Amino acid sequence: MPVCATTNCEGNDTRNDQIRANEELLISRILEGEKDLFLELIRPYQRTVYATLISMLGTKEDAEDVTQDVLLKALARLHQFRRESAFGTWLIQIAINEARMRRRKLRRGIMFSLTSGPDDDETYVPKDFADWREIPSEALERSEIREALGKALTLLEEHYRLAFILRDVNGMSITETANVLGITRGAVKTRLRRARLMLRDILSPGLQQGGHVDLTFKEVRKPWE
Amino acid sequence: MGITCEEVWRDISDYVDDELDPKQRTALEEHFAECRHCAAVLEGTCNVIRLYRDERALALPKGFHDRLHKRLDQKFTLGPKERIHTSRRAVLAWALTAAAAVPLGFALFSAKRIILPRLGHESPSGPPDSPPITGLVAVSQDSDDKVFHVPSCPYLHGKPKFLPAAEAVREGYAPCPICIGKHKPEKKG
Repeated sequence: MPVCATTNCEGNDTRNDQIRANEELLISRILEGEKDLFLELIRPYQRTVYATLISMLGTKEDAEDVTQDVLLKALARLHQFRRESAFGTWLIQIAINEARMRRRKLRRGIMFSLTSGPDDDETYVPKDFADWREIPSEALERSEIREALGKALTLLEEHYRLAFILRDVNGMSITETANVLGITRGAVKTRLRRARLMLRDILSPGLQQGGHVDLTFKEVRKPWE
Repeated sequence: MGITCEEVWRDISDYVDDELDPKQRTALEEHFAECRHCAAVLEGTCNVIRLYRDERALALPKGFHDRLHKRLDQKFTLGPKERIHTSRRAVLAWALTAAAAVPLGFALFSAKRIILPRLGHESPSGPPDSPPITGLVAVSQDSDDKVFHVPSCPYLHGKPKFLPAAEAVREGYAPCPICIGKHKPEKKG
């Protein structure tokens, strides 16, 4: 069992099989003309596509615009979906390609590559060792907490950020994340480890104190020093 | 403690994902039970994942669904068949416009040839770029129309008589309305 109730494990999977069977049925019906069902098909993935795109494009406006383009493109290309991967994975791949095109068009991130960026294989040393009790979910009702989460992500290098988004926000398995990014499972794990611990260091001082998040790394004296 | 804090940090993410073998897992759990700081790192890591996983974090902007529905509605109401029909209609409309434009253009061209020379005749100054006639003009010896022409004018009937343009004007000849658009006698003084 995963330690955090929110993480998915490899092969967790009766439920996934049910979801996939249901999606395949929906896709068949949509292709036969019941286009209204498309909204039902994409409902679970709208946020994950948006989250992926905001992590790549940086602004809410661009992310929304491209999210809508991606969903419309998915409808137009639904007959090309080969069902070798999950529908959600296929959708995220379209989203990543669209984001790359949009960035090229905007002349931003010309050097962008999903696999670029060195994976720092050294063990990441946490910078904050204070106790951090579980943050109640009501905290997310506060806009400053949501803003802080968004800003904290932007402090990560893109290859860490994207691995974190696909795995921990979108709930993909490590294997699916590796397939989408075109890297090994080992590389995904390395990126995840660093992304998670860095985000914890960025966010924990503020969240411990009730939400005022100072988005800078602070050197905290290690307890054993 | 069987393992060090550094080993825990290296494996903590795999522990969260349940990617460790049972022996490693037990070693980490024993470490967490005794090391408050590593337990805090674990708890914080799980908090981070839990927060980002929540639907309210990185939520879709307000009005997103309305805007998406609007775009989808446009796409649904304008399905592929309709788009093809629309496209054919557009081509047909363009073809008809082009077909109508040809005779219209021809008519305008003809009108210009007929009307503009007359306007030029009525205008005291005439077309500003008309070249003046400096040589001979022709008048008909068989007609009383008192009109002088350039020698090649098709409206010059009968036997021509050639004389200088200024003299033709002095003798009361008026310029031909057809060929006057192109040529006009040079005014002296």
